[in-house]
Amino acid sequence: MPKFSKYILVLAILILSGCAEEWLDRKPQNIILEEQVWNDSKMITGLLANYYDRLPAHTSLTTGWAEFAAYDEAMWSNNDDGRNNIVSYPFDRWRYWDYGLIRDINLAIENIGTYSTSLSEVQKTQFSAEFRFLRAFVYFELVKRMGGVPLVTQQLIYDYNGDPSYLQLPRSKEEAVYDFIASELDAIKEQLGNGGSNTRANKFTAMALKSRAMLYAGSIAKYNSLLPSPISTPGGEVGIPASRASDYYAKSLAASEEIINSGAYQLYKTNPDLGENFYDAITKKSANPEVILAQDFLVSKDKRHGFTYDNIARNVREDNLSSSSITPSLNLVEDFEYLDGTSGELKTRNAGNTDYIYYDNVQGVFANKDARLYGTVIYPGTSFRGIPVQIQAGVKVWNQATSSFQNVESNTLGSTYEDGGLLTGSSGPQRSQTEVTNSGFYLRKYVDQTAMSSTRGIRSDMWWIRFRLGEIYLNAGEAAFELGQTANALKYVNLVRERAGFGANSLKTLTLDRLKNERRVELAFEDHRVWDLIRWRTAHEVWNGNASNPDAVIYALYPYRVVRPGHATHGKYVFDKLVAPRFRAPRFFQMGNYYSSIEQIVIDNNPKIVRNPFH
Amino acid sequence: MKTKIFMIAQLLCVLTFATVLSSCEKDSRPEPKSVLKGRVVYDGQPVNVRSNGVQLEIWQRGYQLFTKIPVYVNQDGTFSASLFDGNYKLVRLPGNGPWLDNKDTIEVELRGTKELDVPVQPYFVFQNDTYSKGEGKVSATFNLKQLNTSRNLERVNLYIGKTTIVDPNNNDGNAQEVAANITDLTKPISLTVTLPAALAGRDYIYARIGVKTSGVGEMLFGAPQKVMLK
Repeated sequence: MPKFSKYILVLAILILSGCAEEWLDRKPQNIILEEQVWNDSKMITGLLANYYDRLPAHTSLTTGWAEFAAYDEAMWSNNDDGRNNIVSYPFDRWRYWDYGLIRDINLAIENIGTYSTSLSEVQKTQFSAEFRFLRAFVYFELVKRMGGVPLVTQQLIYDYNGDPSYLQLPRSKEEAVYDFIASELDAIKEQLGNGGSNTRANKFTAMALKSRAMLYAGSIAKYNSLLPSPISTPGGEVGIPASRASDYYAKSLAASEEIINSGAYQLYKTNPDLGENFYDAITKKSANPEVILAQDFLVSKDKRHGFTYDNIARNVREDNLSSSSITPSLNLVEDFEYLDGTSGELKTRNAGNTDYIYYDNVQGVFANKDARLYGTVIYPGTSFRGIPVQIQAGVKVWNQATSSFQNVESNTLGSTYEDGGLLTGSSGPQRSQTEVTNSGFYLRKYVDQTAMSSTRGIRSDMWWIRFRLGEIYLNAGEAAFELGQTANALKYVNLVRERAGFGANSLKTLTLDRLKNERRVELAFEDHRVWDLIRWRTAHEVWNGNASNPDAVIYALYPYRVVRPGHATHGKYVFDKLVAPRFRAPRFFQMGNYYSSIEQIVIDNNPKIVRNPFH
Repeated sequence: MKTKIFMIAQLLCVLTFATVLSSCEKDSRPEPKSVLKGRVVYDGQPVNVRSNGVQLEIWQRGYQLFTKIPVYVNQDGTFSASLFDGNYKLVRLPGNGPWLDNKDTIEVELRGTKELDVPVQPYFVFQNDTYSKGEGKVSATFNLKQLNTSRNLERVNLYIGKTTIVDPNNNDGNAQEVAANITDLTKPISLTVTLPAALAGRDYIYARIGVKTSGVGEMLFGAPQKVMLK
């Protein structure tokens, strides 16, 4: 036996030694080498897809979407009341410090230079440009949340000498980061290629990012300096001098006009029904000339999300749980103007405020409103996927003895009153029940119309728009207005309003408040609201935490059917405006919220990082 | 055989349990037993602020990681922190409270319990404040004294509420007078707030006056006052 095993050992040595060289030189089958990645355009594209997917947003269809209900566009009507009861926003709420992604991008740019041998020069330049676009995007997200951040544009490599201080970069000035973004985008815009793509960056995508970033820089320069005590740090890490405002506005306007004048994009105007058209402009993925950059999803590739499952209106839901999470506020609904240009405040009481206004149908109060309201919000009397969304809080029964109305509401959705008519709608609203609207409205924008997309089994592949032409027009309008080019500003803003059903040249004069309102209604639920209020430095006034401030409180609209047999108002509809019953704490934005706090571990690792003000 | 396995399992359980318990004793540090208490004062009087709004910072040098210990000031101007004995530096965080920035550090040697007054220089203080009830109304009359002219008055408010925690974020009613209507600070200022229906039937409410300095985030308050309604 021992003899036999000795033979085996000898044999094994012979066999192994014979092929040892090849055996050890084999290419690994489970590791992709740098040389392989950077010489294969398909693999680089795959890597790019990963980085595009990691681009941050505060609220998108997949990231932090529930926070749409944490400001003044909407409230939370699903289970748990966290977002209706935010006593104050924590200082780390918008914190973002993803230097992991910055490093990955820096590494990619350097590795293309080092390892790419079989790619053509054109391909190499184009890929590098695309990585640099992504890096500029990430730096914009960093600077708008944290103020000036360390500008790291190449790998930081530790040499094990025991002293890491040469790797500890201080924060750059806030304006320096914005300047970096602008110069990067200008440098790469002609190299990007990807013409016609709305999921990968091209020349116009770069200009769209520049348009937005420069507008932010301009308004911080202007409005921060107008504060009684401007938010700043001695080293300029936070705060931009007022003198730079017009420079930034001019850069923003130039970038916007480059997109507009190119004619490469048009406002979506395919559907003659203007309300449906606005919904289509956001949600139609094919032949959409308006979208500049989107994060796309696809059911057949199993890249999908549950946004529709969580937010579809109650009585049209297809699954047996969830629905109705983000429900728009009356505050937002009333900011959509009437088409004759009057204020959008809903007319529910007569001129002397002595009685209700009685409407023949439940949608009567919304007649002649900005068409974007329909495209954004499901309001009483409208439908989704062809099914009417029944919204009625209850009935108002006339009490002869007291000469007043008595409210009757039911806890059963879709119940009937004793006269055989509808009592409470199958989609609410209800005062305390969850998974049914508490504000009297449902979200339409970004909720998928495709059949079965609100089930957990299928889910939705609705895309998330990062840039579209509608925003670029409004950016151009605001920048032009701030630069004193009012005629130009009017031209751009009126184009956007025309699509919403207002006549040509509906605005004759312009104020900043009009522009602000235009952004609020056009860009609702597109991750703009918080950032706009922050850059205008008005967030602490709009959301001042005071229960008597109507902007800080979320309001609801409850429709009732009138039961008063024998009277002219019998069977008509009236509306009560009220503070949303499940809403608890007024929105409260503190001065320390304008810049997010930097995590302690970052300061521990790099003592050169200075803290943001108030933290 | 079966009992043997069972016994081994039992023994293992006991061993694990014992290890867990003993390691608890070994690893934990004692909780900090010393207390730093104090008040934020002007002219010997505590300065009233918004609850949960204003903080002081405590720092301790000499350790590898240099992290601040935030200490929130209660609405009556007091604060307290449980700490280990040691030498600390207390800092009035700039831009935080309703007073002038003062970046001077206060050295604190903590051995056991210590009481400390942190002096600040407010822009405005209240004097001679009196509260009274009317028919469905509550009024406050007071003098406003400006201590520093580097910033202007923005407004004064009277807040009422059901508890002693009364401020812009916690109140059931408030009255306001903006600076444009307050021309002469030598004269007393009166504010009257109408009782909301929800409070009308109560035996008492709390009222508190506050002053907002332009460009300063936090307001300075008077002490909350219990006002009997019946």
